Amino acid sequence: MTVALATFELTKRYIDGERRRVAVDAVSLSIDTGRLVALRGPSGSGKTTLLGLAGGMIAPTSGDVQLFGASIVHLRDAHRTTLRRERIGFVFQELALVPDMSLLENVLLPLVPTGGAGRAERERALALLARFGLQGREASRASRLSGGERQRGAQARALLRDPSILLLDEPTAHLDAKGAAEVVSLLAGLRDEGRTIVCATHDPRLANDPRVDHTWTMTDGRLMDPDAPRPEAPAC
Amino acid sequence: MKRHRALLEHVLGALFRRRGRNAAITLGMAALVGLFSSVLFVSEALRAEYRALAVTLPDLTVQQLVAGRPALVEAAAITRIEALALPGLASIRPRVWGYLYVPSIEGNVVIVGGAGTDAPGVLEGGRWAEGEDEIVIGNGIAHLLGARVGDELALAGPGASPAILRVVGVLSGQTAALSADLVLTTEARARALLGMTAAGFTDLAVTLARPEEAGVVAEAIAAALPGARLLDRRLLERTHELTFDARAGFLGAVMLPALLALLLLAWDRLTGLGDAERREIGVLKAVGWSTSDVLAARMWESALVGLVGATLGLVVGYVHAFVFGAPGLADALFGWSSLHASLSLPPALDFAQLLAILGAVVVPFVGVSVVPAWRAAMLDPDRLLRGGP
Repeated sequence: MTVALATFELTKRYIDGERRRVAVDAVSLSIDTGRLVALRGPSGSGKTTLLGLAGGMIAPTSGDVQLFGASIVHLRDAHRTTLRRERIGFVFQELALVPDMSLLENVLLPLVPTGGAGRAERERALALLARFGLQGREASRASRLSGGERQRGAQARALLRDPSILLLDEPTAHLDAKGAAEVVSLLAGLRDEGRTIVCATHDPRLANDPRVDHTWTMTDGRLMDPDAPRPEAPAC
Repeated sequence: MKRHRALLEHVLGALFRRRGRNAAITLGMAALVGLFSSVLFVSEALRAEYRALAVTLPDLTVQQLVAGRPALVEAAAITRIEALALPGLASIRPRVWGYLYVPSIEGNVVIVGGAGTDAPGVLEGGRWAEGEDEIVIGNGIAHLLGARVGDELALAGPGASPAILRVVGVLSGQTAALSADLVLTTEARARALLGMTAAGFTDLAVTLARPEEAGVVAEAIAAALPGARLLDRRLLERTHELTFDARAGFLGAVMLPALLALLLLAWDRLTGLGDAERREIGVLKAVGWSTSDVLAARMWESALVGLVGATLGLVVGYVHAFVFGAPGLADALFGWSSLHASLSLPPALDFAQLLAILGAVVVPFVGVSVVPAWRAAMLDPDRLLRGGP
């Protein structure tokens, strides 16, 4: 099976005032294509930072990230941007919708730099919103949506370009039990369509769901799971 | 092209979403540009008006100085100049004019004797003065006194009792910059009002066949008339241009950099890139916008605001200058006379000047607006979304 995402001794240190803080500490992992995996851990354990590093949102201090066998760490900003746009769908914990734009405008936002949305793209966006139960809310301002609606809107946007890898930060954080179950079902369905999905979560409803293929635990920036699939060291 | 069209659509939406802030910037810029362009418009119109009038001025004006003071030019001076038999000399015309204080308007008027159709101005109504008790008045005097053709004015020369003079004509406001404070009458009446003897003249107006020879002719006349002062029309024109350049330049120099810097700095510091905008840039980068996409959008946004603000400012400046007569600026540009011209200036616009104003405002505005966006767009999206420094 093809490896979709691999990290090698991936480390991220922050300078926090006088102190140096290690957010991610030498993490090596490997995720095959078409898997739904969860990164579990308490707040501040480094899950979100690891997700950001994997998605090219954050530059690592050391180590490497490979997507489908190609390193993204040393890519120029423009190439990383293209990669983010074309192959990765990212859903932030902060949801990252522009509050005074409509939901549909938010979903179509990734298409603006490549010429905007045509009829086909708009139809796809509307279909995605319908798939996430948001039909009828397309014209609503993001600021007027509930937390759950924004959550699902952000997930719909992440899927607009049909990415191979979906990275989600706390995808069930704003949802009740029913909503969380629906999101897990949606993610499992997306996985079944061949996408690789990584979720950072501290929600046991997601981390312990039997449809999740594997769950890692992070503490203090380290991967604690001794059985974690580890990548082989990259060739120099 | 398609990319820029999509960016432009996005920017128009963003402008609408932030309409309160953008409207404030646009109006602030319009006020600033309006004030600045009004100064330029008025000074350009004044220069244009003077250039139009300058063709009626003599090529050389001969005055007489005695111990450094202006004195009357004797009639014998005309004979001496004619005796030089200068080949370029076309005509010599003696003139009688001077200043007279008029208590009712608390200011000086210029009395010109014997001037007819060659007077510096055109008639707005009535006819030129022919009789001893007739006068033609400038637009400014008429405006101040509310005088019209047919009215009578009492003017008194030094030590003389007032003479009742009938207004037979009013000079047009189109040449108000030079003719607002004129009183044209016969030579005899002018001499009486100015207290001049019959033997002398205020100056001599010399017309040349070839004006470019003014320097040579002036040297010859100065040599023939000891104590004579010669004024070259081209030098007067230059002085006039420089006067309005200096006044407009002074106002512009004081206003433009100070207000522009103040405006831009205020907006940059106070609302240039708040947390919401930094977050928005974070969102854009996170969903696949490159740094150049973010900057292009920001440039479009600033350019649109700058262009609309500056264009609106030019319109405001035009209306202020040519419709309302530049209230508040007229004193600084015209001088501090109590007899102002009515400033019904004919619009004189220089297209290059308009482009220069637009460029001088829009380009720095775009630059200053883009820098904070560029600094933010260089950061990781994650950092922007979390609100980090």
